Amino acid sequence: MKEKIFTKKIEGPLWGREIERFFQRRGEAEKNLFTVPAAGGREMERREFIRTLLMLSAAAFLPWNGLIGAAEGATAADLAVCRGAPPEKATRAAVEALGGMRRFVGPGDVVVVKPNIGWDRAPEFGANTHPRVVAEVVRLCREAGAKRVRVMDNPVADPQRCYRHSGIAEAAARAGGEVVFMEERRFREVRLSGLGLRSWPVYRDVLEADKVINLPVAKTHGSSVLTLGMKNWMGAAGGWRGRMHLRLHESIVDLALLIRPALVVLDATRIMVANGPQGGALGDVRRLDTVVAGTDQVAVDAFAAALFGLRPQDVPYIALAQQAGLGRMELKGRVRHLSL
Amino acid sequence: MREERTGTRASGGAKGSSLSRFRPYCQLFFLLLFLYLFLGTAGGGADETARSVKVFLDLDPLLQGTAALAARSLPSDPSVLAALGVVVAVTVLLGRVFCGWVCPFGTLHDAVGSLRKGGGGRGRPSLFRVKYLILVFFVFAALFGLQTASFLDPLSLLTRSLTLAVWPAFVFGAERSLDLIHAASLEGTADLVGRALRGSILPLRQPLFSQALAVGLLLFLLLALNVVLERRFWCRYLCPLGALLGLLGRWSVARRDVAKGCDECRRCERGCPGGAAVGREGAWKGEECVLCLGCDDLCPKNAVSFGFSRPRSPALDLGRRRVLTSALAGAAAAALVRVETPAASVGGGALRPPGSLPEGAFLKTCLRCGACMKVCPTGGLQPAFLEKGVEGLWTPILVPRVGHCEYHCTLCGQVCSTGAIRRLSRGEKASFTIGLAVIDTNRCLPYAHDLPCLVCEEVCPTSPKAVTLVRETGGRRPPRPRVESSRCVGCGICEAKCPVEGRAAVNVLPGPGPAA
Repeated sequence: MKEKIFTKKIEGPLWGREIERFFQRRGEAEKNLFTVPAAGGREMERREFIRTLLMLSAAAFLPWNGLIGAAEGATAADLAVCRGAPPEKATRAAVEALGGMRRFVGPGDVVVVKPNIGWDRAPEFGANTHPRVVAEVVRLCREAGAKRVRVMDNPVADPQRCYRHSGIAEAAARAGGEVVFMEERRFREVRLSGLGLRSWPVYRDVLEADKVINLPVAKTHGSSVLTLGMKNWMGAAGGWRGRMHLRLHESIVDLALLIRPALVVLDATRIMVANGPQGGALGDVRRLDTVVAGTDQVAVDAFAAALFGLRPQDVPYIALAQQAGLGRMELKGRVRHLSL
Repeated sequence: MREERTGTRASGGAKGSSLSRFRPYCQLFFLLLFLYLFLGTAGGGADETARSVKVFLDLDPLLQGTAALAARSLPSDPSVLAALGVVVAVTVLLGRVFCGWVCPFGTLHDAVGSLRKGGGGRGRPSLFRVKYLILVFFVFAALFGLQTASFLDPLSLLTRSLTLAVWPAFVFGAERSLDLIHAASLEGTADLVGRALRGSILPLRQPLFSQALAVGLLLFLLLALNVVLERRFWCRYLCPLGALLGLLGRWSVARRDVAKGCDECRRCERGCPGGAAVGREGAWKGEECVLCLGCDDLCPKNAVSFGFSRPRSPALDLGRRRVLTSALAGAAAAALVRVETPAASVGGGALRPPGSLPEGAFLKTCLRCGACMKVCPTGGLQPAFLEKGVEGLWTPILVPRVGHCEYHCTLCGQVCSTGAIRRLSRGEKASFTIGLAVIDTNRCLPYAHDLPCLVCEEVCPTSPKAVTLVRETGGRRPPRPRVESSRCVGCGICEAKCPVEGRAAVNVLPGPGPAA
């Protein structure tokens, strides 16, 4: 006799070959990156990480620099990466490189900006989007003539504590945004593409806004490997979100297929490389001073995966999203690289 | 109290000039102050509460006295001692001024009582003593280590009723009204109001409490007595705090005089809220008088006046046998409760808020006021029913399935009047252990059903995480959660967010882990 545990019926095989393979691959990827030979300590781990990172960015830099020169003026790059501090300058530069905020936000638009405000953590811990990145995006929207810029998330911890201690409430409000808490009555059950979920309650403002801007932060995540842009849409969902973990990657893609942002600005000013998605120790955080802006949700996440030394296909929802036709993981010729 | 004196001076003068006219304003002021502090007993996302209803519980000599007696330790907070000092001094000097001018529960009784025609009257002489006998019971129970005053103390009762029943019901009503506005295609208005009030007047989450109905009903019944039986029924016959203040004020220097002109029209008697005024001279019951000074106004002959005189002990005959019976009952109650098998040994008990005193001391000092439950941002603090034994009724327990303990939050300790929940610093809180998460492998999805989950690992707030992943070599099955008992603080967020229907697959059990 089988106990009835779930209220929602889930179609199809629950434990598919796809996920199975993912765990194997992921195990390898993590072994390469985060695990250490028996003799090594934490320092060893860090050194190894930095080396991987350096190698990756070196590998990433060379061909792109050449390509940008060739591609400039021809096809518009749909991904811009800016390295440098402070966060607001990097944010502005990345958005400018894509053609400026006016390309995405028009006068009179109601814009919903969706940062990650999931946890009761101070900005330096990297668990939430950097408040200065959020504030700058709000400012850019206002400059582009947006009528309203609403900043919101559906946090996991107590929303008031998260909004406050993330620094986002204050920074975004000061930049001219309306920082609002999600109201229970404004979630609406919507049909999804059914990869993982056939329907789920999603916040109306996100569905009905003229423009939506996704503002994730890059972190590791126990269940989804990494939480990047597409994963951030779980913060626009209501209901018992723990239930999504059964088919997490599929559910993430379902949400990403529903909510199509005009722009994704991924905060990698610092990334959380361990103990994600909540962290809590400065040792889990690496400062990268990087902001990634793009219009292709899949491409942004694919690029961000590389920041962790992972291939895009190591993060199952990125591969799934490409399969579903949401975007392309292939980055060649699409990235415009800047540094301050 | 300055007003009191001017009042007595003025009372000899023209009719109606008495200070009693100001009493409703004074009562309203304190009621609004109480509500203001009550509503402010919330974090709003901050680490510290801006205000706290604790102030009113601080100045309650019955609560503080019985708690101190039961726990054999005086309040350590100097502000509590100062507040108590003021109340006791004023009462000793002037009598039950607190009841007539300050007590928010008394004000509510006056308000509800105004629905009933006719004023006070002499009341039922045999019932006046009941409150003293209740008091004697409480004091003797406390003497033997059982703190029971908090079940019936007016300030605790009112705070608790507001927290558990009235406030949640108000929020429910407000939200449903907003729903209606929303449904009436006035979404803009509803959103505007919702957004404006959210986080200030309206909480982010509908407060839900077990026993809301019972606690709300008790409040309703006590208030209904004003209409059904007589005005201020509670204050006259039942209130143990009133009894204590009456006794403290027995030798007060405030005194009601009736001059020769009295023709025993008994108007003062009919209008007396406390049942203290008796027309004839010398029959004033000082310990029942709440110093409203209304009889001075009512007297057509202007024969009543309040003044000061040397303390004089009025007769108060409770009956020696009755007092003895109450005292014995209190002692017996303490003994009977003490021989109950401790809750912890029967069912494992329930979780206490972070910073709680050891269980025995906690039960003696918790005032059951519910301030901690009001302030808890997740709503996880709930009133116990029998989870902590009969003695634990209405004391706070953490029910993670309702709401977890926020990792950095220290609000409950800040609003606790007696320190039953200690005030923790941010650093202390991060490692304060209230329990240990235990995974039920028969229900856990990865263990029992080979399904991927790991929500508990994701939400675990400690660093490094207390819930870790165990990956099987070969990787045929999804990774499984494991609790590192040395890191687990028992916050219960894993239990709160566990996606298994009904009872969670991870449960926090009280007490520290084996490592501690």
